[in-house]
Amino acid sequence: MKYRDYDIEHFITDEFFIQWVVNPNENNTHFWEKWLEQHPEKRLVVNDAANFIRSINYSIRPELPDKIYVDIYENILKSEQRNIIRQTENVSRGFFYLFPIRSIAATLLLIFCLWIQFESINYQRPVQQEMPLITMVKKSNPIGRKSVIELPDGSKIHLNSESELEFPSVFSDTLRWVSLKGEAFFEVKKEARPFYVASESNGIHVLGTTFNVNQSDNGSLYVALVTGKVRVESELGKQVELEPKEMLVLQKNGSFYKTGFDPMDILAWKDKILVFKSSDLVEVKSKLEKWYGIKVEYSGNFDKNWTYSGTYEDEILENVLKGICLTSGMEFTIEEDKVTINNPK
Amino acid sequence: MINNPKPPRPENNVISLLSHSESIKIFENKSDEEIWKAFDKGDEFAFNYIYRIYVVKMFQYGCQFAKDHSLIQDCIQNIFIDLRRKRGGLSTVVSIKAYLFKILYREIIRKQNKNKIVGQQSFEISEEGFSIEYSHETKLINDESMERKRELVMMALEKLSQRQRQAILLMYEEGMSYKEISVAMEFSEVKSARKVIYRALASLKDLLHEKAPYLK
Repeated sequence: MKYRDYDIEHFITDEFFIQWVVNPNENNTHFWEKWLEQHPEKRLVVNDAANFIRSINYSIRPELPDKIYVDIYENILKSEQRNIIRQTENVSRGFFYLFPIRSIAATLLLIFCLWIQFESINYQRPVQQEMPLITMVKKSNPIGRKSVIELPDGSKIHLNSESELEFPSVFSDTLRWVSLKGEAFFEVKKEARPFYVASESNGIHVLGTTFNVNQSDNGSLYVALVTGKVRVESELGKQVELEPKEMLVLQKNGSFYKTGFDPMDILAWKDKILVFKSSDLVEVKSKLEKWYGIKVEYSGNFDKNWTYSGTYEDEILENVLKGICLTSGMEFTIEEDKVTINNPK
Repeated sequence: MINNPKPPRPENNVISLLSHSESIKIFENKSDEEIWKAFDKGDEFAFNYIYRIYVVKMFQYGCQFAKDHSLIQDCIQNIFIDLRRKRGGLSTVVSIKAYLFKILYREIIRKQNKNKIVGQQSFEISEEGFSIEYSHETKLINDESMERKRELVMMALEKLSQRQRQAILLMYEEGMSYKEISVAMEFSEVKSARKVIYRALASLKDLLHEKAPYLK
């Protein structure tokens, strides 16, 4: 039967016609438009047939939540990682055991599983014994302590207090990566292997650059770029590239914006410079507590509008307190790790 | 190493599901057969592509005949774990969607049977599965006689068997060919898929010929 003899029941059972209605492409659209030009008397029946086809739908349209969508993907890859552990456990202990899977962010897992997989392909059976013994190195700072860490590739990382950095003792041939909680300043050695920072929910791709990453307590991520280039990708697949002197603020709800930043504000901590910039009582307290790992209490009456500005380079607590109190007429006492600031007025 | 060529550039080892979308660029114009072959050879981009394109569709399809969402998710996960394990020896697939729908259907039935095994007769898909929504484009719905016709068609569709509704939805909602429907529903011949569709639509024939009043 020719198309010109078709009635509605023929159209709605014709694959080529259905394809045009459901998945139109250049090919079928061209054909059916031309055909309709030559057979205008068929327009009505074609219209009816197309309407019928379009009217038939699933009555249930559930959505697969993004989280589940990602979880399934991870689980698929993770299950292979488990297999690899089983296969290699006699040969290489350590790496797989020490790696605290659950604490690492989603993005990192994806990378990591693939990494293992590719590595295992490289070192497949005949040479399995040569699989290098890679362990994870974990560095963490308690409140009041900062440190400088050198990575296996020569990159230098300033790790702030209350922060944690984790990285493999040897980087693979193809990728350098670290996992960060808290705040760190990176001086990444320039080389061909990309550098990757995994934070709780975001990944940062880097090629030879210096930048600051701060996963703050309020759930936001701050990435401030000094030199080079970085790309930040959020859990939801958004990507943002930064130019030097730009800072990306990625909020917990996934929204983000770029802004400039004052290097003194953002970067001074790594040079052991404590900065107060019109800081109010609350900010002074929290900065001192975090910097020196102490508790600060106020006693007496304070002016609500009081603010303090000043910078201290690698200074001991006592001198900082002296400086603050000198300009404001306050007094302080230090008992072990507790500081009391008193306003006698 | 033989079966698993590394992707061209080193940083491509990082195939995140989230970052965009090298895999889409590579495969969007390839045939299903080529994509499947690449997946079989261990190409991670091919896997990534297949996952991106089909997992949401599989989930939606599963929901048409199973109510337990976490069971459907488990099944999808197991299917891919299994397929990845068998890479290197996978058979040729001409329509990835039809093939994945077939094994998803099987896996869900198998899982449900397993769960019900304690003291129960074997699980069967309830007649409520593959329920069809029949709705015209909104501008026509206000027309009373159109609405009446819509209700009649809806009633006729509800009287169809579950298998018939499944085939109809695969055809009109998923846009599958008869060949693909016969794969997804495990008919041995394409002919059977045609038969199911024809028989289902036969009951609608009179209704379809009834001209809408606005055309008269």
